[in-house]
Amino acid sequence: MQLVLTVNGTTYEVEARPTARLLDVLRDQLGLTGTKEGCAEGECGACTVIVDGRAVNSCVMLAVQARGKEILTVEGLARDGELDVLQRKFVEYGAVQCGFCTPGMLMSAKALLMRDPTPSEQDIRIALAGNLCRCTGYTAIVAAVKAASGQESTPQMALPGVPGELAAAAVTDPATLAVACETVESEAGRPLGAPCTPVDGGPTPAGEGSTTSGARSVSEGGE
Amino acid sequence: MPPTRVLTPSTRDELVEALAQATPRTRLVAGGTDLVRELHRPGEAPDLLIDLTGVSGLATIRLDDGSLHIGALSTFTGLQEDPLVRRHALCLSLAAAQVGSVQIRNAGTLGGNVANASPCADGATALMALDADVVTVDGAGEERRRPLREVLLGPGRTALRHDEAIIEYPLPALSADHRSVFAKVGSRTAVSVARLNAALVVRLDATTGVLAEVRVALGAVGGTAFRVPELERELEGRAVDQGSAQLFADGCMAAVQASIPGRYSLPYKQHAAVGLAYDAWNMLALGPVCEPAWA
Repeated sequence: MQLVLTVNGTTYEVEARPTARLLDVLRDQLGLTGTKEGCAEGECGACTVIVDGRAVNSCVMLAVQARGKEILTVEGLARDGELDVLQRKFVEYGAVQCGFCTPGMLMSAKALLMRDPTPSEQDIRIALAGNLCRCTGYTAIVAAVKAASGQESTPQMALPGVPGELAAAAVTDPATLAVACETVESEAGRPLGAPCTPVDGGPTPAGEGSTTSGARSVSEGGE
Repeated sequence: MPPTRVLTPSTRDELVEALAQATPRTRLVAGGTDLVRELHRPGEAPDLLIDLTGVSGLATIRLDDGSLHIGALSTFTGLQEDPLVRRHALCLSLAAAQVGSVQIRNAGTLGGNVANASPCADGATALMALDADVVTVDGAGEERRRPLREVLLGPGRTALRHDEAIIEYPLPALSADHRSVFAKVGSRTAVSVARLNAALVVRLDATTGVLAEVRVALGAVGGTAFRVPELERELEGRAVDQGSAQLFADGCMAAVQASIPGRYSLPYKQHAAVGLAYDAWNMLALGPVCEPAWA
């Protein structure tokens, strides 16, 4: 079925399976793989995105239910090459360990700060209750969100030997980024951000409700 | 197998047209927090999905001549925040605040909570204590109103036909003389499925302060949430004091014992019921805790 989705300010026309989850369309069709699939049951929050200003689990939302809504994913946080303040504080406060929960944590925190720019620690803990971190780095995450809201917050953990501001600078340093991107691209065998194509033996769209053979093609349009 | 179709009605008329096409294999989608998981498990795919989230007016909450009408597409976040629900059906707002996570509360709806018929549905227990009715519309455009207890039949079982969608829950709005609370025990403090939940609604006599009317509902302790009428009668006419608290706790324990005799969880739940009852009673006496205590 034909769907029009607005993701990070860009309108996409997508040919999607009727039962496709928002998560499937974001990752497999739009190539926005920052949103992670964890439990696929709405428990872990790794797939959290913001729909019309509210954090939701994209693994338990049908893509069709996001039609006509404003969707914000982790890829939409950085602006003009500048990390969002939340992302910077996550780096400065060592709030990232394995990193798998991070996009979801960021989006839940972002949804909170969009509604309440200066939340209490209790508010932050409630907002993040649906985001599981198996490295159990919660303390640093809560501290980072607090710092991102401009409130005084003590770093619980810093990168060894690296002051927080420096660590953040390294992440935004174009040369460092370029090296990181090349490594990832050569591992993946495709340019970063390119839409995934189904691999042989991998899951293929069931083609329900669709007669278009190029069901995975994505066109940017509608602007 | 023919492919799944999706219909996205945006008005009540379009909803009726969509329902007219429903078969026993059709599923209605509201928040999706239970159904979408199910769709992605192996098994027979539905022939038709009807997305209710776009139907205008289904998320409305309004007060009309002493009745609070809660639209079936109201999300738990909506119920948690809505001033009418907080004033006239506080236990439902308190229950909604304890469902899942922020993400689940932003998507999950009260309509889905009942239609999915989980025995541990927090919303269902609160609605039971609030004496809520269920209004549905079917594929012929017929509206039907019946008490919630006639809709919930057992775990995952309701009296709803395949072409019938819940559109709202009317309930008698609680007055300033009423107090209502909700309490729950789960395996952890947050993002927890209830092992046992309870909603308590009382009306205090304006002059004497005694319990003029009592409604007790328990959930997650049997096939569906249920009322405990014998306990309600026992408490009526009594003062809000320690003796009544004890009576309430004993009554809740007895109700749990009667509901799940011999069940593996009984040894735990019968005692959990006592703690839960005291939690609920303390909230009643001291005023409800509007934010979760764990944070």
